[in-house]
Order: sequence, then structure tokens, then C-alpha cells
Amino acid sequence: MTGIGSGPGRLARSRQGGVLARLLRVRELALIFALAIICAAVTLREPRFLESANLEQVALSATLVCIVALGQALIIIARQIDLSVGAMVATGAFVSADWLSVHPHASILWVALIGCVVGGLLGAGNALLVAGLRIPAIVATLGTLAIYRGGIIALAGGRQISATVLPDSYGHIAEIHILGLSLLVWLAIGLTCALGWMARFTRFGRNLYALGSNPEGARFAGIAVRRHIAGVFILSGVLCGLVGVLWGARFGTVDAVIAPDLQLQTISSAVVGGVSIFGGSGSVFGAALGSIIFAVLQNGVQLIGVSQFWLQAIIGAAILGTVIFYSRLARRAERSERRSRLARSRS
Amino acid sequence: MSFPLRLFVRWETFLLLVLCATLILGTHVSRYFATSSNISIALASITPVAIVALPMTLVIVTGEIDISVGSIVGLCATSMAVCLEHKFSVELAMVVGLLVGTLAGLVNGLIIVGFGLPSLVVTIGTLALYRGIAQIMLKERGVSSFPDWYQSLGFGTIGNGPVPWSSLLFLALFGAFAIFLHVTRWGRAIYAIGNNREAARYSGIDVRRTILGVFVASGAVSAVAAIVLTAYLASARSDTAMGLELPVITAVVLGGVNIFGGSGTLPGVLIGLLVLAFVQNAFGLAGMTPEEQEIVTGSVLVMTLAIFGLSGAVRRLWRR
Repeated sequence: MTGIGSGPGRLARSRQGGVLARLLRVRELALIFALAIICAAVTLREPRFLESANLEQVALSATLVCIVALGQALIIIARQIDLSVGAMVATGAFVSADWLSVHPHASILWVALIGCVVGGLLGAGNALLVAGLRIPAIVATLGTLAIYRGGIIALAGGRQISATVLPDSYGHIAEIHILGLSLLVWLAIGLTCALGWMARFTRFGRNLYALGSNPEGARFAGIAVRRHIAGVFILSGVLCGLVGVLWGARFGTVDAVIAPDLQLQTISSAVVGGVSIFGGSGSVFGAALGSIIFAVLQNGVQLIGVSQFWLQAIIGAAILGTVIFYSRLARRAERSERRSRLARSRS
Repeated sequence: MSFPLRLFVRWETFLLLVLCATLILGTHVSRYFATSSNISIALASITPVAIVALPMTLVIVTGEIDISVGSIVGLCATSMAVCLEHKFSVELAMVVGLLVGTLAGLVNGLIIVGFGLPSLVVTIGTLALYRGIAQIMLKERGVSSFPDWYQSLGFGTIGNGPVPWSSLLFLALFGAFAIFLHVTRWGRAIYAIGNNREAARYSGIDVRRTILGVFVASGAVSAVAAIVLTAYLASARSDTAMGLELPVITAVVLGGVNIFGGSGTLPGVLIGLLVLAFVQNAFGLAGMTPEEQEIVTGSVLVMTLAIFGLSGAVRRLWRR
């Protein structure tokens, strides 16, 4: 199983500025290019796409998926996977909204804190299974997906917490605008930059790439592999809990079955954003761009007036198209790499 | 390690104990648990999952995964429904369903093998694609004009005994898959690929063709599951079998198949399926909602794996 740009040659190559490293660096640019093409195509058919109200809707729907996709991207970079994100978002959303409906005068910061703590605890449950008991992440989170989702549905007992029982200040979070952009969008941008910086420049972040591209090697290099895996699962849980709170603020109504296929949305955002499913390469910026692309596609399909029944098929085709494109790209990069190495050895 | 001890630490033996515990628990929960009608209900409700679990075992043993099975089942059910809408006979609809399923599996396999892409990503893509095609074909309509004999395939039992017809179908498929995986050399090739793909390739196994075949089998057998499921539900919609992949993978993993490939047996998967069927049934009889049963399913999966993992750790300590 060789991920794109993984393996021992990775560091050396990026120092030399080889073709592969250059391509990897440009991958986010290619995504922005693709995004621009999609936007232009939608605008040509339907100029209303560029109206600020519509763009704001796109940004808001991208925001929620984007924040979860950041955590998912870090987990995939560390060669793990988290299938329980949707259930964690629902749990965070319901528990925090339920608490708020009982304490309507509490500060919103407390609600956000509760959401994050709930998410963090659920993430710690995943961390215990994956890092502590060494159950493969895909299986462990498959189990916790059922446990968390079933748990919150049982706890909610069919109840729905609607805007009528929640204080107005909660819904106002989504309406606060700074410099013309919603607070939620700023939050997503801030988190993307912060986590992007963390992944690229901190020891924790670099270690995630290291153990993603070669777990054995990372262990021999003295990286506390299990502690890092536990950390990244808890981080994902905290992000999910936060998104749960934002979810309630944006939609006004919270029940236990929200975000049913968020795990697939976030994994495909990360993959379309260039994160290798085998770990060790990709970036959280790519995952953020991936989530924006999906939000634009969804909005565009609705706007152009294509029947909503086409949406799933278009998304599926987009995922397949991108991964096939990436594999061609990687193969070509490999070939030119080999050629340049050959030329170097001759000279 | 002596022979009985070695038998004991096998996953299948451990799982058999879990199954016994489930059955004992079930008889304590309700006096209706051990009745033949209840057993037939428990078996009939797990059969679609059980049928898809057979090729999924093969897929996971090769070290791949197929997330798109639920969508393939939905797409087959939708194609059959469209055939019925056009007043074709049910037999023709079943053939069309089987063809569509095989084709869907073939497309999965060709993308994975042809481009050398990870199956997890490809089948996430086709999960959306196939479900989308089903939605385009059937929109929000539901079709329930299945003839009576067809519906008895899902619910009817053999001579009013506890065994549903669909379980007989499953057993026939199970026999075929078990012989294929555990007796033939193609089955050994599947294990070899899951253990070490490079070594398998150097020993002359056509890895790409085998993986392609496994995905085609997954699609074709998903179509069989679609037939059983539409018979069981007596209707077909574009959202039929949404999320089916989760219980299927749960059953396969619970059955002791290594998620990274290379090990696991079909008898183990069979016991895992029975555990799932009777756990859900018992807690349903105890008055639990489907959601609460979902917690139990997840917990059974996580706890059996955790207990087995812990026992392994204890054994390692013991030996030291």
C-alpha cells in the first residue's frame, strides 16, 4: 500500500524541490482552479449564484462540514479513520441544546464549552478503543457510530428541541457578521488556518505525518504513536462537539438524527482535497477546499434547477473523477521523477 | 499450547460462547424467544445482511472493502421496480436486477483494479453514484406490485417450520462460498493476497483478476440480497437498503475476519450473524426500540473485540 508521496524519499524530495513535491504543493491551487471552473459554470447558467445572500448560504453549509473535515483530515493523515463523526455532532448538538433549554440565560460560551466537552469525551472513547485497546480505527468507530447514535436517539426519545424553547441569543450566533462574513464562517477560516499551521509547523503535526506514512518508522524514531493517535481522535471529537453547537445555532432545531452521513461527506471532502487515504500526505487546507467544492456543487444543482434527484449521482461522479485524476497525476509524477533521477545518475 | 487450549483461543469458539450466552439470555428475556415463529422472524430479518456478508467476507479477506453494497442493493431493487412499472414479468425483473448488480460490481472492480485506487475511496464514490442513479430512476415513488409467491420468498417458511425460504437460499450460497474460500485453490489465493499482495503476485497469482472477481461477486450477490429484501419488505424504493454496509461489515468483523485482510473464516461469520440476529431479536422482545438495539449491536461489536484484545494481551503477559 503506497500512499501518494509517502515513504522515506518524501523529505529528501521536497528539499530538492522535485516534481512530485512541486505538484503536491500545487495541488491546492489545482483545487482552487477546479472550484473556479465550477463556480463559473454555475454562474453562466444562473447569475443568481453570485448574489451575496446565496454565497452566504454556500459558505454556511460548507462551514459545518468543513470544521469536521479538518479533524477527519488529520485523522486520515495519521492513517486512521473516524466513522463516528456524524453521531458525535448529533450528540454534541442535542446535549448542548438540551442544557441551554433548561438554562436559557446561560452564556453562549458555556454552551460551546459543553458541546466541546461532550465531543471530546466521545472522541476520548474512540481514542481508548483505537489507541488503548488497539482495535483498528475503522472497526472501532463503526461500533461507536452505532453506540453514540443509538445512545443519543434513546436519550432524546424522539424529542426535538426547537427554536421556541431556545433563547434567541443562540440563533443569533449564526447572524453575527464581521466584515460582511458570518461569525461561523470566520470560525471555520480561523480553525482551518490554526490547524493548518499546527499540522505543518508544530511537532505534533509533523509527527502525525510521520506516523501516517510509516507507523513502524515513527515508533523507532521515538514518537509516542499511541498518544498521538489518541490526541487526534480527541481533537476530532472536540471539533464535532463544536460543530454540534453551531448546527443548532444555524438551523434552530436540533434532534437526534441530524448529520446522518457526515462521515462520508467529510471523508470525501478530505479525499477530494488531496488527502491520501493511506495516510502521510495531504493537508487540512485541501480538506477545507473539498468541503467548499461539495457545498458549491450542492447549491449549484439546486440553483440551476436540475432535479434534486441528480445530486447524489453528481457527487459520486465528482469523487470518482477526482480520485482517478489524482492517480494519473501521481503516476505521471512518478514517471518524471524516475526520468530525472536517471538523468542525474548519468551526469 | 495443548490442543484443547488452542481450540479455546480460536475466535470462533469464543464467539460460540457469546452465541450461547445470547440464546440463554433470550430465553430468560421472553418466553416467546424460543418459539418457532420468533426464530423464523429473527432469521428472516437478518437474511439480506447475511447474504451480502458472504462476498463481503471475501472482499475483506483480500484486504479490500466494499462500502457501496447498500447502494448496489438499492440500485437493483430500483431496477426491478422500474421493470415492474413497465409491466414486465417478475422473473424478467429478477434477471435485470442480477445483471445490474453484476454490472455495478464490475464497475467497482474495474475502477479499483484498472486505476490501482484504494477500494475504500472508490466505493465511497460509487456509494453516492449508485444511490444517485437509483434516485434518478425511481424519484420518490415506491413500487409494491410484487406477486404473492414472490413475497413468500421473504417471509414464508418451509413447511411452517422455523426456517424461512430465504434462509435456505442463504445456506445454499453459504455452502458455495465456504467451499470456494476454504477448499479451492482460488480461496487460498484470496488469503494469500490478503496476507501479502506482493508475495502473492510473485508466486503467480493473478492478483488483479482475483480482486476484480471478488468485487463482481459482491455486486452479483448484492442483487440476490435485493431480491430477498424487496420480497421481505414487499416494496422497492430508491432508498431501499440505505446504510446496509454498516451491519454487514459489523457482522463480518464480529465473525473474526481481520479488517486488514488475510484471515477469518466463513463459519465464524455465520456465528457472528447468528449472534447479531438473536441479540437484536432478544432485546426487541424485551421492548427495546430499534435505536436501543443499535446501541447493543455496537456494544457487542466493540466489547467482543475489546475482550479478545485484552485476553490476547493477558496471554502475552502470561507467556513472558
